[in-house]
Amino acid sequence: MVLKDVLSKEKKAAFMLGNEAIVRGALEADVKVAAFYPGAPTSEVLDTFSDALGNFDYQMEITTNEKVALEVCAGAAFAGVRSLTAMKSVGTNVASDTLFVLGYTGVKGGLVIVMADDPHAHSSQSEQDGRFFAPNAYIPMLEPSSPQEAKDMVKKAFEISEKHRVPVIIRTVTRVNHQSGIVQLGELNRSEFKKVKWKELNEEYTTLGSVARRKKLKMLERTAKLAEEFDESEFNLTKQADSDVGVITSSVSYLHVLEALRMLKLQNKVNILKLGTTYPLPKNTIKTFIKNLKKVIVVEELSPYLEKELCAIAKDVNPDLAVFGKNSGVFSEAWEYNPNIVARGIASAMGVEYAGHEAIVEEAGKFKEVIPDRYPTFCAGCPHRGTFVALNQALKIQVAKGQEHYFSNDIGCYSMWIFPPISRGDSSLCMGASVGVANGLSHVIEERVVAVVGDSTFFHAAIPALINAVHNGNKFTMLILDNSVTAMTGQQFNPSTEFIAGGRQGKKISIENICKAIGVEFVEIVDSYDVKGNVEVFRKALDYDGLAVVVSRRECALYGDRNKRRRGEKIVPFYVDKEMCKRPYVCLRTFYCPAYELDEDRQPRISPELCDGCSVCARLCPIKSVKRTEVKA
Amino acid sequence: MSLNIFICGVGGQGLVLLTTVIGNACAKSGAKVVTGEMYGLSQRSGAVSVHLRIGEDAFSPLIPYGEADILLSLEAIETLRYLEYLKKDGVVLMNKRVMHPPIETSKIITEKGSKYVTLEDIVAKLRGWTQNIAVVDALKLAKESGNVRTENTVFLGCLSALEAFKVDEKAIRESISEAVPKKTVDQNLKAFDLGKESAHGSLCTLVPCRPLP
Repeated sequence: MVLKDVLSKEKKAAFMLGNEAIVRGALEADVKVAAFYPGAPTSEVLDTFSDALGNFDYQMEITTNEKVALEVCAGAAFAGVRSLTAMKSVGTNVASDTLFVLGYTGVKGGLVIVMADDPHAHSSQSEQDGRFFAPNAYIPMLEPSSPQEAKDMVKKAFEISEKHRVPVIIRTVTRVNHQSGIVQLGELNRSEFKKVKWKELNEEYTTLGSVARRKKLKMLERTAKLAEEFDESEFNLTKQADSDVGVITSSVSYLHVLEALRMLKLQNKVNILKLGTTYPLPKNTIKTFIKNLKKVIVVEELSPYLEKELCAIAKDVNPDLAVFGKNSGVFSEAWEYNPNIVARGIASAMGVEYAGHEAIVEEAGKFKEVIPDRYPTFCAGCPHRGTFVALNQALKIQVAKGQEHYFSNDIGCYSMWIFPPISRGDSSLCMGASVGVANGLSHVIEERVVAVVGDSTFFHAAIPALINAVHNGNKFTMLILDNSVTAMTGQQFNPSTEFIAGGRQGKKISIENICKAIGVEFVEIVDSYDVKGNVEVFRKALDYDGLAVVVSRRECALYGDRNKRRRGEKIVPFYVDKEMCKRPYVCLRTFYCPAYELDEDRQPRISPELCDGCSVCARLCPIKSVKRTEVKA
Repeated sequence: MSLNIFICGVGGQGLVLLTTVIGNACAKSGAKVVTGEMYGLSQRSGAVSVHLRIGEDAFSPLIPYGEADILLSLEAIETLRYLEYLKKDGVVLMNKRVMHPPIETSKIITEKGSKYVTLEDIVAKLRGWTQNIAVVDALKLAKESGNVRTENTVFLGCLSALEAFKVDEKAIRESISEAVPKKTVDQNLKAFDLGKESAHGSLCTLVPCRPLP
């Protein structure tokens, strides 16, 4: 990323990531408060706001979770101040309690919520379709297809939000957030940050019972007005052609449609309606578009959201219209689309020739048989690797003694324990759920439950489940992997870090103090790199007749490396002493470090470019043949 | 006509920075560019890929199968992983460096008779698809530049030698200077030049290149 373009006063063309364009749009709209919990694919929105903080006077928080982030923004918006939050699809579930109420209470200052779905579950636990939040909560929704549109829509969303006194959702998908392209920068006029006087605003934001019933009616009126207005929106684009076939699409699928039509040599030969305002839908625009068509092809990823609405509209204006989409089997509700999938769908709906892509994919597949899979894995130097080795050894000893286990995993880098070659995990659901389900499991299974959470996940959603365990006397073992930052999304600060957004000094919260304060009697703190010592501690925690918490602490290797480089410290790699190594392969069998490989003599070799110098493999080697490289003074 | 480049490698090799440098150079020289980047779960050592598309008739952030003009791979194994994107007879620009994933190593010590995939195995397979294969010893050239982390810039140098890669070299150099850490600008520019030179020794015997000044 080049921050310079996000900050630029110049109205030039810049190459930007979708997430950076979102930030630029918000800055051009003079946003004053921003709050986030990181989550792929939106994390760069947070990162960019954090990096730019020194240049502007907005308030920014990296919050404990998405619900708090939305509430921080709502607070600002209640007082008439513009605010923005961004969250991944499943983060919206956490924030949804507040989201639904905001539909009723409304806001004064513009409030924009960027909600990023992840078709294909590239970096999520599910492929949920967040679009349904919008009609369910009566909150308007815009869907950009490109970085340029993302910037334009964010800007416009603030205006819509203030005009109709309602939060606005910008719904993206991974391929928009992580798409880069040329963005035309607009005016960057920032006003001075000033506090407002609440009393002078004469506002109220309550809702309950009769108040809620009254506000519900207002909400319906507002939505009807928005639907009318969206019929005039510049974000709904109709491309007419001399044909009785039309395509209705939105989001990144629009770009796949353009590509597919090029591939099928059908450019400008099919009508296209590209929808940018997907709640409330511009019904008159859709009616006009389909009125004289024979066929409509609906191209949208995940659920048939547009398709169902279209079918309902078609009943009135064009009952003979043939609709091709998910219900007709032309497209799937599973996984993300690409130009080839869209070309196949369009070709099949139109009855035109498409050679297909299965042959080329299959042919390429044959050439790939020689290569190994490359699963996501722990970085060289990752403290989780040390914790895993010690836990694994402790579990083995316990199994030999007759104690069996259930391994309850959670969301974070340690989720990767489910991938080979480690492949361990009985369940892994969503933020904080490892502790929640441990409560239930501890009642009903004979095995000892081991629940694992990271520091960020602990603060995000695990604390209520832990309090529940203490209060109800539930017995299990809980490991808290404290690596100081929210590592998986790019090492953002969290309450376990001494810093806050923008790298400013914050107050670090002690995980062990929380555990002790709520009444956990067994709380041990260990260094993740001290594998041998930790085996004994983990065993005690597994044997303990009650709730046992072990905090395994060591900073994330990537975060640590960055700090080292900043301080001018060298990362000193280790090497295997070829003379000494007798090839027991303890390192390779137990450790799975990406810096390790075998040399031509089948002896372990450490790649000096990849080694992080963490020392854990050296500590584990039974013949002490792994040594630190000597550094010349 | 658009130019489609599929870039792949291993988390930590600087694919995203490479993409940013090319994209910024396009913005400076008025070219249209769109990319699709995939690095969700991959912090370090996982598979990472970028679809990079320059030109007016590239719409989707994803390159259709069989339409990439160039498959640029910062790690040898990864080259084969995305072969379906490459045109038949397209250009492969790949690193000599093989980074064996832990799962491959653990298989070797547990399964008798199994052995690592080699650079030769990979190139032999690639020849079934295209003859235009340039293997670059990017790590060696990066070390020569004074910074082992400049493998990505070495490849940018190789790319810039190609006639099909129409992005202005001055814009690329400016873009490198803006995007990399200040202390490493000279090393990166040297890595760029070394990459360009190396292309003229290998790649340019296979495909049309710009003349050296």
